[in-house]
Amino acid sequence: MELSKADEQKILIDILDIKKDILEMIYKAQSGHPGGSLSCANIIYLLYNNIMRINPENPTWKERDIFILSKGHAAPALYAVLSKFGFIKRKELFTLRQIGSKLQGHPVKNPEIGIETSTGSLGMGLSIGVGCALAAKLDKIKKSIFVLLGDGEINEGAIWEAAMSASHYKLDNLIAIIDRNGIQIDGSTEEIMALEPLAEKWKAFGWEVIEIDGSNLTEMLKGFERSKSIIRKPKVIISYLIKGSDVSFMQHTKEFHGRAPNEEEFTLALRELEDIKTIILKSD
Amino acid sequence: MSESALRDTFGDFLVEIGNKNNNIVVLDADLSSSTRTFKFAKAFPNRFFNMGIAEQNMVGTALGFAISGKIPVVSGFTIFTTGRAWEFIRFACHDNLNFKVITTHGGLVGEDGSTHNSLEDLSLMGALPNLNILIPSDNIELIKMLEYTFKTEGPFYMRLPRGSFPKIHDDKYKFSIGKPDIIRDGNDICLIGTGYGTSLALKSANLIEEQLKVSIKVINLPTIKPIDKKSLLKEIKSVKGIVVIEEHNIYCGFGSIIARIVSENVPKTIKFIGINNSFGESGKREELLNSYGLNENAIIEQIKKII
Repeated sequence: MELSKADEQKILIDILDIKKDILEMIYKAQSGHPGGSLSCANIIYLLYNNIMRINPENPTWKERDIFILSKGHAAPALYAVLSKFGFIKRKELFTLRQIGSKLQGHPVKNPEIGIETSTGSLGMGLSIGVGCALAAKLDKIKKSIFVLLGDGEINEGAIWEAAMSASHYKLDNLIAIIDRNGIQIDGSTEEIMALEPLAEKWKAFGWEVIEIDGSNLTEMLKGFERSKSIIRKPKVIISYLIKGSDVSFMQHTKEFHGRAPNEEEFTLALRELEDIKTIILKSD
Repeated sequence: MSESALRDTFGDFLVEIGNKNNNIVVLDADLSSSTRTFKFAKAFPNRFFNMGIAEQNMVGTALGFAISGKIPVVSGFTIFTTGRAWEFIRFACHDNLNFKVITTHGGLVGEDGSTHNSLEDLSLMGALPNLNILIPSDNIELIKMLEYTFKTEGPFYMRLPRGSFPKIHDDKYKFSIGKPDIIRDGNDICLIGTGYGTSLALKSANLIEEQLKVSIKVINLPTIKPIDKKSLLKEIKSVKGIVVIEEHNIYCGFGSIIARIVSENVPKTIKFIGINNSFGESGKREELLNSYGLNENAIIEQIKKII
């Protein structure tokens, strides 16, 4: 899948706008998880923009592809993307984490606005994906199930039970994506509970492993393309991403895993994202 | 004629309902020969999923089936399914999914011993909003319950024993969710049982009347959640005291649920028969029931304290 210069520019600008929405939602709620929302915003956007078959007019369309945000704390990223694609009204975004809002701190099932399942207790999404993939095969519906996992999240044993069962049942309609940003709440993933050699672990469980630089659009799209061609086994895309991506003081740090920016930080973060937009637009 | 094990009735029913509704899928955790889901597996191999010895992923996979429009039935031993996979079951309830957890080996399992007993599952399941919790007292009740469970949307938990219970009901029995089932009338003391507790209550009633010269009423309460309070209160309003009988820990179990309803509405003396804060041990089931306090004499002792 080749992107034209104009396409690429639009995608990059959209992703930056989504990052701005994420920060504004979390800033207004004064709670939430900026680090892991910023890290995977580009992946979720690309899935909805380039990869998945969706229909915002008919969100529960039987043949739609399914997206499961297993790392549910990145809910703001999902909500912002769902809003971009017409599932959620934009002004609703800023009710995040408030009483009575559909946009709970972690996703609560609401297929009418594109939230397929509740998630947030880590380690459950891949099993749910296995069930969706088996159901699609049973119904002979050609659809793909995408499950976005946090790298810290895969400390959970249930992930590995699910991994074993997905390859046992040869679920080639199941694609797991790991947000490999290397940082979990208490520190680096290798310090807290070492994951490496990560690719080898998934290979040993019978999965096709695709490793990509998650900050590179073309590489990401190629990764997804390649995953489509592989049959009779589940696929995992290990996507090397940056925690707090594109905001200098939120990048590569655990500090903003689960803390909202204050007014000064919020203003600065928005300015930085605007600056990146200006550079992208100028590169035309 | 001896009664067949409830799990056999369950296994046969699954095949029957599987014939009528091809949205039903069954998942088991390498215990299909024990839970009798192997019968479904044989009849509908495409709709049976052995998930191996991995209860969390079994229930998680069932969540995925449920959000895809299937009606998943998850089975296994009671303690492993409700205990190990509790949080996954919590999600089925949280999202109010059409989801059926039907387990066997509830209560005292016998020779397998304390690690395999399930005397805590009602505490775990009872705290879950949206969940319907049912315990059959015999095969006929089980069938009526299964019929209700599969024609009603929503999450259900049914707790079956490993073995059989004596026949209490006849074919005309109507299961009604939440409602007390009056199986013996009396005026002074009311025994409320569920599952094996109902058998024991009924079996003990004559002896108690004879020995203590009190009139005994026996209520079978097959629904643990949601209980129709009004109907229950009407039945227990005029008795002097209540004894609740359950094959479960009396801490945070069926008795605790009944005690809350009674004390809030018609406060009166209430006593509890069940396993008292223990995990149990290996042995013949009959011996275990006897030595862990599920017997006629234990009930008589409690009633003496009331009258």
